[in-house]
Amino acid sequence: MRLSQTLDLDGTSIVCGHCGHGLCDKDVNWKEKAILNETPMRTLGDPYSTDEQVLLRVFSCPNCGALLDTETAMKDDPFLHDKIFT
Amino acid sequence: MSFVVATDVGGTCTDTVIVEGGKSLVIGKALSTPPDFAGGVMDSIRSAADAMQVDVKTVFDRATLFIHGSTVVDNTLIERKGARTGLITTAGFEDTLLVTRGAYGRWAGLSEEGLKHPVATDRPVPLVPFDLVRGVAERVDYKGAIVRELDEAQVEQAVDYLVDEKQVESIAVALLWSFSNPVHEQRIRSIIKARDDGIHVSISSEVAPAPGEYERTSTTVINAYAGQMVNNYISNLQKLLDERGYRGPVLVMQGYGGLLPAERAAERAVNMLECGPVAGVIGSKFLGDNMGDKDIIAADMGGTTFKVGIIQNGEIEYAREPLIDRFHYSVPKIDVASIGAGGGSLITLEEDTSAPQVGPQSAGANPGPVCYGLGGTQPTVTDVLLLLGYIDPRRFLNGTMPLDVPTTEQVFREKIAAPLGLSVEDAAIGIFRVANAQITDLIHKITVEQGLDPRDFVLHAFGGSCPMLASAFARELRVKRIIVPYTASVNCAFGLARADVMHDYSTAMTIPVPCPAAEVNAIYEPMLKEARETLKEEGFSDDKMSFKWSVGFRYALQVHELITPVRADTPLDGNGMERLINDFEALYENRYGKGSAYRDAGIEMTQFRLSAFGRVERSGFSATSPGDTDPGLALTGQRRVFVDGRDSLIETNVYDFEKLRPGNIIAGPAVIHTPITTIVIQDNQQGQMDGYKNIVIEAT
Amino acid sequence: MIDPITFSIIRHRLFRVVDEAVITLKNVSGSAITNEGHDLMVSLYRADGSLLMGGVGFLHHLTSAAEACKSIIRRFRGDIHEGDVFLLNDPYTAALHTSDVYLVAPIHFKKELVAWSACFVHVYDIGATNPGGFCPDAENIYTEGFSSPGLRLVEKGEVNRAIMDTFLNMVRSPDMVALDLNSMIACNNVARKRMRSLIEKYGIETVDETCKTLITQSGEKLRARLRELPDGQWQSRQYLSVKDEIARVELTMTKRNDTLVFDFTGSSEQSRHAINCTKWASLGGLFAPLFPLLCYDITWNEGVIKPITMIAPPGTIVNCNRPAPVSVATVGAIQSVNNAACITIGKMLSASEKYASEATAVWHANHFAVFLFGQNQHHKQAIGILTETFAGAGGARTWADGIEVGGEIPNPISRMANIETIEYTFPIRYLFRRRLKDSGGPGRYRGGVGMELSFVPHDAPDGGMHYVVSGKGAKFPMSDGLAGGYPGSPNAYIWIKNNESKTADGHSHPIRLDAMSGEKQAVDWGVFPLMGNDALYVRWNGGGGYGDPLLRPDEEVCRDVEHGLVSPEFAENVYGVAIDDKTGRLDKKLTDKKRTDLLARRKRKNGGGHAAVTNP
Ligand SMILES: [Zn+2]
Repeated sequence: MRLSQTLDLDGTSIVCGHCGHGLCDKDVNWKEKAILNETPMRTLGDPYSTDEQVLLRVFSCPNCGALLDTETAMKDDPFLHDKIFT
Repeated sequence: MSFVVATDVGGTCTDTVIVEGGKSLVIGKALSTPPDFAGGVMDSIRSAADAMQVDVKTVFDRATLFIHGSTVVDNTLIERKGARTGLITTAGFEDTLLVTRGAYGRWAGLSEEGLKHPVATDRPVPLVPFDLVRGVAERVDYKGAIVRELDEAQVEQAVDYLVDEKQVESIAVALLWSFSNPVHEQRIRSIIKARDDGIHVSISSEVAPAPGEYERTSTTVINAYAGQMVNNYISNLQKLLDERGYRGPVLVMQGYGGLLPAERAAERAVNMLECGPVAGVIGSKFLGDNMGDKDIIAADMGGTTFKVGIIQNGEIEYAREPLIDRFHYSVPKIDVASIGAGGGSLITLEEDTSAPQVGPQSAGANPGPVCYGLGGTQPTVTDVLLLLGYIDPRRFLNGTMPLDVPTTEQVFREKIAAPLGLSVEDAAIGIFRVANAQITDLIHKITVEQGLDPRDFVLHAFGGSCPMLASAFARELRVKRIIVPYTASVNCAFGLARADVMHDYSTAMTIPVPCPAAEVNAIYEPMLKEARETLKEEGFSDDKMSFKWSVGFRYALQVHELITPVRADTPLDGNGMERLINDFEALYENRYGKGSAYRDAGIEMTQFRLSAFGRVERSGFSATSPGDTDPGLALTGQRRVFVDGRDSLIETNVYDFEKLRPGNIIAGPAVIHTPITTIVIQDNQQGQMDGYKNIVIEAT
Repeated sequence: MIDPITFSIIRHRLFRVVDEAVITLKNVSGSAITNEGHDLMVSLYRADGSLLMGGVGFLHHLTSAAEACKSIIRRFRGDIHEGDVFLLNDPYTAALHTSDVYLVAPIHFKKELVAWSACFVHVYDIGATNPGGFCPDAENIYTEGFSSPGLRLVEKGEVNRAIMDTFLNMVRSPDMVALDLNSMIACNNVARKRMRSLIEKYGIETVDETCKTLITQSGEKLRARLRELPDGQWQSRQYLSVKDEIARVELTMTKRNDTLVFDFTGSSEQSRHAINCTKWASLGGLFAPLFPLLCYDITWNEGVIKPITMIAPPGTIVNCNRPAPVSVATVGAIQSVNNAACITIGKMLSASEKYASEATAVWHANHFAVFLFGQNQHHKQAIGILTETFAGAGGARTWADGIEVGGEIPNPISRMANIETIEYTFPIRYLFRRRLKDSGGPGRYRGGVGMELSFVPHDAPDGGMHYVVSGKGAKFPMSDGLAGGYPGSPNAYIWIKNNESKTADGHSHPIRLDAMSGEKQAVDWGVFPLMGNDALYVRWNGGGGYGDPLLRPDEEVCRDVEHGLVSPEFAENVYGVAIDDKTGRLDKKLTDKKRTDLLARRKRKNGGGHAAVTNP
């Protein structure tokens, strides 16, 4: 069953849709278990010239590196949490 | 006697009308033969010659005028078969064409369903891809003053790039404000031509000299894209006529409603868009003039579309934001609105609700409707008309194509009637009502939208299917009466035969009123001079020329202008000027309702238009004086057909058009079979054949 | 039970009624925002004010105008007559902000109230502190111009001159505002006339039954669709900045069975700036994307409103308390609500195999309300929005790139004016208006790009003009991506002071930002001059991307570079696609290496895995 375009639900576990790597239980925010790269948005280049504090969060699969999701965020704002009820 | 030969090449059929001086008019029809249209043209002329019982050679020998309309430009665009085209524009504004004023080019021309579903939409693939667009440094301002001189070295580079590296065959040039000052565009054309005379060049200040750079650029690109094709087409046509021994003038129909000599038409591809249907409106106007009707709804229903044009107070309406295949263009063009509801339109049921839909998809000519027996498996409007008894299965296309009623019934039951839980008859009646409602809505849209009331209009029903539906939908529109013209099946060719040579000129300038008449006359002077010279070159003497002025007005502050015809003598004097302004105000109030004008803001003139006509000499055709009202001799029997307002099909009189005589009156309900279509007369209506063999249907 | 055929006819005709009324609105109105930008809406309502047929236009008005009808019904109960037209523009009653004036009119048949028509345009001026209606200087609703919770402007077909004149007495350019009001009166007249002829033809019972069925059917269709989608909860967050203040719109959307709850708990407290929205505005804001994203094949009416619930805590930026200022709402918090809802709906759709193709990243997330005002070259006072804000940029879809400069979801029929139209109306000269490189959000499918433009005064009798800019949110990319796609780039507004307008070769008409001399200052909130040799530069956001940029085929990235939509540096840093400097062609070997390297770095926490420029 799919959770999103990048993640699947395997029984009660959330797994990487690309390699099947298990991330966590379905009730946990999988982002805690993904690899996070967090850098100022401005590093993307000119039209993204914004404040140092505006961050791009990139969540990827610890196993295969597949891009799982991104967020535009300020430093201490919590991760967005998306879930499917089963 | 001499002949005027008019041929219209349409998507499906090529129609010919031959007018023999002083005598009647003859009709020819053949299938079009794309991509080489010559075959269809010759077949169609042969068909007319047969009807006159002469050979084709005689037709060409005695022809003094050949008039032509064609769908070639429409086809070139729709099939994307035009030249590899580049675009040179003002540096800094290279994206104007591709960006289409933002989402405008994405949603323009979409149906309700499309508009509501943006995620599924996109622009049509542009005629010029981005890598064939080159900006050159230059700038003209709103007054036409040069802010930055043209950088000619950049022009050379752009041409090198487009011609050498990208191998374009055609170049469009469209610069900001070029209609105010065309020198930079002209200079660019000289540079291209000096380098390679074989490249086609279209410049926007000539093709579409009006404000609005996106639409002007798009128009110029269309012209450049189809330019070479039209050139070839017209020279092939001329060659064909030449080989047949024809030496007279060849005139080509233009979308603005007039003819141009073939040589000139070759330079204005974009003006040929939709020229066939436009000729149909011209034909309607001619009929109306003859019959004393000034307000006409000209409705034409062919195989794939239903088209409508409006004539109001003897004037033909121009389109406001014309589109071809969802591309904008902005040359003056007679407005012809259309929806995908023709004889071949498919009937489907909406998935969840089972609500029936007519069109816009069409079965085309092949496989065509189920009843043709050519493999069509989805019911069409034609199938419904057959099931309603309007089409005689044995007499279709003059008996050349027997129709398969049992299969039609079976397929219709399976796909439409059964899912609706209705009998075949009831479902067919229902579909007939849906099609009529769509047509009524379209006509409402283009009349009411302009503040026009359909009840003031006469409806002309053209095309293969329209005479079957008109008596029903016209009743809902409550038009004054319906005319099914004798030439209903070849209406566009008929219109060609009646059109005159016409050149359109316009000057954009904003002048508040009141203003001295002399100021307006001064604007017209150079246009008149040019028009006279052009018409003279084309062989028209002064007495064959006529000129029509019209002025674009608006209340200051408003965006939309209203073109108001000048009815007073020209050049204008003080009284004429006053009358013109009064006419504008009356026209405005009539369109947008009482209280919608905001006079305190003042009135301004924004556009000055001149239509210059060269009257084409040709004799008319004469009417037969009406005789007996009794149609008894034409009565061929009875058949079960659907009568609007009744719940089922009923036994109805059937008449043969060929046996009717002018003056005959047919009481509804009744059907009249012509060699090409059926004319339906409903309950509480009667039809009378007039001296030109038109059938006039009125409520009783 | 109505037969499906009559039903189908009446349904289409109801849409046509709306369509014809829209055309009337445009024909009569004189302002560019209505005609060129299509900032308008017309819709039909049932006798009780519930939505019957929503037209295309700015969709966040459909539910608010319903509330406007309902509130007029409450206020004028027993005193509503044939030929009346009511005006309402108070945001705390129903409207979105004061300058989007509603004119609602009862439709009677045989003396009985059977329906309502409603429309709005953004009027030329509303008499607020700043010209044009968007009011960055407003401290509260009292400084945001004329506002009414409901008054009778037309009484039994006759305009109440006293009210009209009082209203016009309070606004700048009363001529233009009068024309706006006339256009809305004419629009309601057309809707009434057409609606009545529909009833005449089919009978009131049949029309009424059809309307009821339409509403039931829409509700059933949406509920059926919701049942097909997985149950779950999706979140999104939008940042909005004004000066030093940063506000958040937080959304948790929960879908259970056939209902949807949009919960904005956690959103920031109401702002002291005019970016707030009232609860009606928030409700409209979440429906604007919901109609085209979930109901693209369903009639937009009351039926689709029923399954939806909104929770918006009072005192927050999405449900502010009077007298908080709200004049910038439509391009402020409402737009953040639009964006947040677009993304949560997109996430829900992409969790379904069947509906994933309907999901989209955010389109054109940030309007830039720049209003020019001053004397024009024809010596008339001119006020007007830069309609480029309606040009937009498409978000990437799960199967295709976003449409370059392709509009926005909340208004499916927006567009911008030609430069020649603008330069004739305002004393300015454009230096350039082109697609903005690197603005489309990176992804497997790239977001559509936005544009950049710049202009200078030209033939201005006063030496130039002034402009009001309500450019909230310029700090943040707001066009969120989907499924890992990056956001589109943010807006920017730059005042180039005393630009000498000289290019290297001495011509006074530079065509690039970097060719322009003079001090550059970011301006995003307030009133600023465009005088003498000043220039204004504006760039607007691209759409969000979809999926992993490293998975975008290298030939597609190459084509983007060739077409000037992506710079070679951006291609290399973000997409890992290397273009050979000399040939301009793809360097396949280097690309493979780059992409492998970026992927490897992504596996390390904070390894700079999104961009090569951040060295680990
Ligand atoms: Zn993985």
